[in-house]
Amino acid sequence: MGALAALIVKDVKQLLRDPRSLVMILLMPMAVMAMFVAGYGEERSSIPIVVVNLDGGPVSWRLIELLRSSGDFRVVAYAPTAEAGVELVRRGAAYAALVIPPGFSESVVRGRSTRVVTVLDASYATVSELVWQAAVFVVQSFMKAASEEYGTFYIDVERQTVYGPKVSSVDSFTSTIMGVLLHLVPMSLIAVSISRERERKTFEQLIMTPLSSWQIVVGKFVAYALVTIADMVATFGFAVYVLGVRVAGPLPALVTVSLLLLLCSLGLGLLISAVSRNQLQAYQAAIFFFIPSMLFSGFFMPVEMLSPAAQAVGRLLPLYYFLRAFRSIQLRGWGLQDVAGEVTALALETAAFLAAAVRMLRLRVE
Amino acid sequence: MPARPRGAMLAIEAVNLTKVFGGFRAVDGVTLRVEEGVIFGLLGPNGAGKTTTIRMILGLLKPTSGYVRVYGIDVERDRRSVLRITGYMPQHFSLYEDLTVEENMRLYASLYGLGRGDAEERIRELMDEFMLRDFRGRLAGKLSGGTKQRLALAVALLHRPRLLVVDEPTAGVDPPLRRYFWGKFRELKERGVTILVTTHYMDEAENCDRIALMSRGRVAAEGSPLEIKRLAYGGDIIELVTAGDPRPALDGLAASVLEFEGDGSYSRVRLLVPDASEALVPLTRELEGRGVRVVRAYQVPLSLEEAFIRLTSRG
Repeated sequence: MGALAALIVKDVKQLLRDPRSLVMILLMPMAVMAMFVAGYGEERSSIPIVVVNLDGGPVSWRLIELLRSSGDFRVVAYAPTAEAGVELVRRGAAYAALVIPPGFSESVVRGRSTRVVTVLDASYATVSELVWQAAVFVVQSFMKAASEEYGTFYIDVERQTVYGPKVSSVDSFTSTIMGVLLHLVPMSLIAVSISRERERKTFEQLIMTPLSSWQIVVGKFVAYALVTIADMVATFGFAVYVLGVRVAGPLPALVTVSLLLLLCSLGLGLLISAVSRNQLQAYQAAIFFFIPSMLFSGFFMPVEMLSPAAQAVGRLLPLYYFLRAFRSIQLRGWGLQDVAGEVTALALETAAFLAAAVRMLRLRVE
Repeated sequence: MPARPRGAMLAIEAVNLTKVFGGFRAVDGVTLRVEEGVIFGLLGPNGAGKTTTIRMILGLLKPTSGYVRVYGIDVERDRRSVLRITGYMPQHFSLYEDLTVEENMRLYASLYGLGRGDAEERIRELMDEFMLRDFRGRLAGKLSGGTKQRLALAVALLHRPRLLVVDEPTAGVDPPLRRYFWGKFRELKERGVTILVTTHYMDEAENCDRIALMSRGRVAAEGSPLEIKRLAYGGDIIELVTAGDPRPALDGLAASVLEFEGDGSYSRVRLLVPDASEALVPLTRELEGRGVRVVRAYQVPLSLEEAFIRLTSRG
């Protein structure tokens, strides 16, 4: 017992005397919680929707007013026709369209039953469920409040989808799983590559040759890309041919976007590697970077629904662009030209990370 | 000591190098001038600042102040040109342990920009010279300590450097290999390679043409091994065994008594003279002329280690 106690005391002492472990133990949970609150706390943004008011009467405007004041929705556009509203949802400008049919006000006033139509974007399963529940709730509240004035009437909430009717959970989580695999794995793998050479002293010999920083960075980048691309292709094959994941859009487009995220992750990992002094530091930095990626890139919830600060961070993350592009191709059936913005962002970030890695890499042993 | 040839080129000119880590001055105002074609030893105990000094010379560390020129090229400004003419064997084995002997050599031949044919030829030469042929397919990590050292030296010489910098090549190496290494260094010197070598084995430093003694980040003394010893003792030491006490007869001679031991009939006396090789014979003759019978007279071999301790314990 004495020996065991001594061993425990020794390990606790070592943990407390190692500043890096302390950072992990104390700072990490706080940082994660702070980021979580900042992104998902009270300041949360509402769901962008389109309203198509084909009625135009006073009752319909009261319903819209209630919808807006509920805080769950943000009306980003008023479309003149149902088709135009659905098109906005299709293009991803809003997660849903609320269509109020002609004669809505009159039906309510006359105490007849009527309906509103919610057109949901099924490619975001979690959001469309949220929209659906919130819409039903708002309509019910409206019925209760308005019945005092107009007497009894009934509004049915009709559900329609685009890219639906329903996306299976395997399909809807494929982008998330691919995102994790193509981001965290290559990033942490390459992040330790230069610091490992530093720790094993091979760096000291390497930088005695007339190599320049860019050669070292590009050399590592290409080598790790070749190896991890094989990994990516295997993962893809497994998802599509074994799990039977549905791909609505062109497969080459999906592969291109995935490849870009892979390269971008390698670039980011190399930047971490260039500035880290040792492997532990590099590994921790990679994990630390992955946390905001997970919280703010649309992993759990679309970025548009987070707080403005979190959205700003989200728009810097490679994973944000990847998830948007991947989902659009996989679930909406879009082509590469439809996600040109995301593809460009990923390519630019890759180039920026590589350039920064070259700039930060010091050919010294300090 | 060989006279300094007029106009000899400086292989290394390190001026007023200082390196501060945090608040610790690891190297404090070190100036070294290494002439082309010599074996220059950087001596001192562990922690004296030797490795930090050579890392600054090679541009692996940025000096806090001071500058380095290698064959006239400023290391800070044009390190790559310096690297093309410099070979380096670090203190710890720094090649890829998960590559074979041959793969390591090919890799470095390419990194140094050797052409295909040239690389083949050079690798063949060095494998023979350093007895590596039998190990060519073996992973470097699986080699014995001595073979690793030979491989490291071979790789450092791949691109036929004019300057070879070797950090503690003989630390933890058995005596036959130590001797082998010093033999190699002399051979390389014959071929015109300048060598800067660090060691904490004082006895090895006798192999150097010039040495600089480092202690606590500073150069305590610099010169040939002989000069260093003379500096430490104030001259050479000779020992005489004489009949009777020779001390009265030493009056007026350029020799001072360090030690005296006598039993009445015979005496043993240690004398400090400026130069033993010049003084031994005339001094003996002079004493005999003054009636002292000299039984034996010889120069006392001094160790650099002793000299080092004397030089560094003064201040």
